[in-house]
Amino acid sequence: MTAIEVTQLSALIIFAANALLVAGLIALKTVHRSRARRHHRRKTQYMALISRHVTYANCTDPITNRMASDPAFLDALIDVRNAVVGPEVETLSGIVDRHGVIALQEARLRSQFPLGRRLRAAVALAELGDESAAATLMDHLADREPEVRIQAARGLGRMKWTPAIDAIVARFPVETPWVRARFADTLLGFGAAATWPLIAYIRVNHHFEREGPVAAIRTLAALGDDQAAQPLIEVLRNATDVEVRIATIEALGLLGSLRSAPALRNQARSADWRVRAKAMTAIGDIGDAGSVDIIASGLNDANWWVRRNAAAALTRVKGGVDRLCAALGGDDQYAAHAAAEALTEAGEVGAARQRLDDGRPLERDRVLVERLIGVGA
Amino acid sequence: MVLERKRILVGDDSETITTLLTAALESSGYEVTTASDGQETYDLGRGGEFDLVIIDQLMPGLLGLEVIDRWHDEGMQTPVIVLTGVDDDRTAVDSLDKGAVDFVRKPFRVPELLARVRHRLEA
Amino acid sequence: MIHQVLEWTGYVILVYFILMQGYMTFLGARSAAALRRTHHLGRYGRITEMLSSRTTPPVSIVIPAYNEAAGIVDAVRSMSLVRYPRFEIVVTNDGSTDDTLALLIEAFGLERVTIPYRPDIDTAPIKGIYRGRGAVDITLIDKASGGRADALNAGLNAARYPYALCTDADVILDPECLMRAMQRVVEDRERTVAVGGNIRPLNGSRLELGHLIDASVPKGLVARMQVLEYIRTFLASRPAWSEMNALPLVSGAFGVWKRSAVIAVGGFTNGHLGEDMDLTMRLHRHHMDNRIPYRIVYEPSAVIWTEVPDTLRVLRRQRIRWHRGLMTAVKDFMPMTFNPRYGLVGTVTWAAMVLFEYLAPIVELAGWLIIPVALAVGALNIASFGWLVLIALGMGLMNSLVALLLDESYGYFNSPSDTSRLLVMAMIENLGMRQITVVWRMRALFGGGAVRSWGDMERRGVASLGARP
Repeated sequence: MTAIEVTQLSALIIFAANALLVAGLIALKTVHRSRARRHHRRKTQYMALISRHVTYANCTDPITNRMASDPAFLDALIDVRNAVVGPEVETLSGIVDRHGVIALQEARLRSQFPLGRRLRAAVALAELGDESAAATLMDHLADREPEVRIQAARGLGRMKWTPAIDAIVARFPVETPWVRARFADTLLGFGAAATWPLIAYIRVNHHFEREGPVAAIRTLAALGDDQAAQPLIEVLRNATDVEVRIATIEALGLLGSLRSAPALRNQARSADWRVRAKAMTAIGDIGDAGSVDIIASGLNDANWWVRRNAAAALTRVKGGVDRLCAALGGDDQYAAHAAAEALTEAGEVGAARQRLDDGRPLERDRVLVERLIGVGA
Repeated sequence: MVLERKRILVGDDSETITTLLTAALESSGYEVTTASDGQETYDLGRGGEFDLVIIDQLMPGLLGLEVIDRWHDEGMQTPVIVLTGVDDDRTAVDSLDKGAVDFVRKPFRVPELLARVRHRLEA
Repeated sequence: MIHQVLEWTGYVILVYFILMQGYMTFLGARSAAALRRTHHLGRYGRITEMLSSRTTPPVSIVIPAYNEAAGIVDAVRSMSLVRYPRFEIVVTNDGSTDDTLALLIEAFGLERVTIPYRPDIDTAPIKGIYRGRGAVDITLIDKASGGRADALNAGLNAARYPYALCTDADVILDPECLMRAMQRVVEDRERTVAVGGNIRPLNGSRLELGHLIDASVPKGLVARMQVLEYIRTFLASRPAWSEMNALPLVSGAFGVWKRSAVIAVGGFTNGHLGEDMDLTMRLHRHHMDNRIPYRIVYEPSAVIWTEVPDTLRVLRRQRIRWHRGLMTAVKDFMPMTFNPRYGLVGTVTWAAMVLFEYLAPIVELAGWLIIPVALAVGALNIASFGWLVLIALGMGLMNSLVALLLDESYGYFNSPSDTSRLLVMAMIENLGMRQITVVWRMRALFGGGAVRSWGDMERRGVASLGARP
């Protein structure tokens, strides 16, 4: 074949490929659309049927096993279940039990493929919240598909199935960030029941890994159960990894327990500026007036972040504002700047000016405003 | 003696809710008409031909409370029950202020809703 | 002899054209697969989970503003309505000569503050920083004029959060766009350094508070052609590029950038007409040179709306500017072109950008000149010519069809009249409109056409540099 002919042939092939793509897309869409329409029609019929069953107990409209295996039926069931509370939910559970819905979905979930159907089965089991599916969902916490794992955890969370907590926490080290974040959200749903499993996990693992324990520490902070404070203080004392240390400091701050103050004061003297900076914020979070000296010394720190966090913390601690005013008039111009910023951000400046205008200033207001001008604010 | 069936208008953008309510109300012997957005509900209800209206607060287009407002301005007398979300206390109170006679939180208990409807219609 | 030359030149042009079409077909098919996958996963409620999760990272929305008095307050207000758990807005007043600064200060009750400003990236001098105390977290930076890139860099300096959404004042954000773009970040926080979004022309559509009330194909042919162009690139090219981790361009009108990564490469380049493409390519180069695992992706459901030029005059300036920007980029990144050291970016997407975008005007022009001569001299017969033209038009139409089919899933243009208008445009655009853009780009290549800097551009329709058709 001549060169020209080769070129012409390639052109034809590409043209054909394009035509195939267009035809394929049109075909896919048409099939998909008509399937969706039929699904919708059936779903509406099923919703009416299920609604009647829910409304009066001796409804005799038949529900067959065949219907119950229809995905449209399941969608309708889940929608109705989310719309009602009370004994009606029992009626729906009855329908679910009588027609082996759970068993069917479990079977679908356990099959190898297709992914779409497995995922829908996982979602269905999660939404139905029926405890008989708990064992299967526990198994699928380690499923090879991340979305399935997330739905499994979600379902167990909705059922408040406490044995799942340990299983979920145990997966922290091996999980991808996205899944781990969703697992953490699920753990929050368990509430205080998740506290001790998380603590156990952190205690054992923080010497060997970083990301898992850090995620667990953050989850503890979000749970807000201050039983976690003492164990975290111990972790802080023994922590070897700086990221773990920083996460623990932050968590102790958020938990807000004054018991953490001594440990945090210690950390405020760390050699690592990141640790010092976090400690300043955390002390501010717990609002310990006894630490005011330590925080005030942070204003003179060499590192900008530490100064900034110390200044911000002083605005939240009793007696701190006076220290900030003192720093404003001091020799250390870096401290003065940090103080100026923190006072402005916290609204102290605005309030002081307002009080001066109203003619009812506090003792320090005039000094504050004067010194601010001196600093160049 | 033939008792005329009471007529109820249900306005909600969720198909689940309208289907559920239709099934529940029809099985109790009422005649149900449904609407799926604020404008449609408003248009159907303003003539005052219904004995009761059940309306969802959150619909595309006109909000439930706005519909009640307009009906009120036009002097429509039909009693209105408002459906509100679980955490939505403000809507509940607002709806009573605007002239609704009752509110029901979603998700709801079907027998409870039916009882309230019966109460309104037989009062 | 002339015969031979003509025949071979014609042959080269043909091969070029076929390679280009092959590439477009490949991109179309790959994009179709990519879009199908994201559609699938999008159904499982990720968005609502992210909204309420404590792990969702905060974002700074960075907006450069130069003489935007007409709409800046509305723009900032509408951006503050974006659905996202935690974000701040950083506006940089780039030495405006109108009331931009005063209007912002008044509308949002801003006060001058003395927060220390750390110039991680060098910029023109800062004149002042203002912050508000209202519901919206706004920081306003007033600085000496330095251009869009400079303004963005100043905004990045002042941004407090680890991620920055860089956009323009005349862009309208879909309320969920930030959420959807950040979804891609959260999937892989370590590696994701940038996420690009989907830009749709606003012309002909009506929006209210970012919500689309009515989408419809614009009446003007100029705007309509661009609707088709944007659909082609954003639905049939970028998803494929993203899958290959070889996205050569994250649009300036909508880009979510990892702040530390941008600072590491020195921020946006000043005075560059294509600063978004430049930054994207520099990020690729930096990470590949230093063997840092990374990814730059595109999210088709992160949608923003912007006005596109609706007259030929304004369009011309925009296209010349784009091509100039491309020229600079081609020069700067020449070492990466066809270089296997730079993976798929170097060997495929950037190479294609150089070949099929940069050189396209030359080849196409050569084609128009050669063909009549060849016909006249008899080196080309009418049958071949006719066949060639048919294939050319047919393939162009196919590209557009694929793109339109992919776009159809998003449901913006539903009415039969809109669909038919776009189909007709797909057929006629190769009969004149494309040719005009080729002429403009030739002018850009050879220095014609005075193009002023960003700051002086006519306000309507030229601010965002973005989609490359």
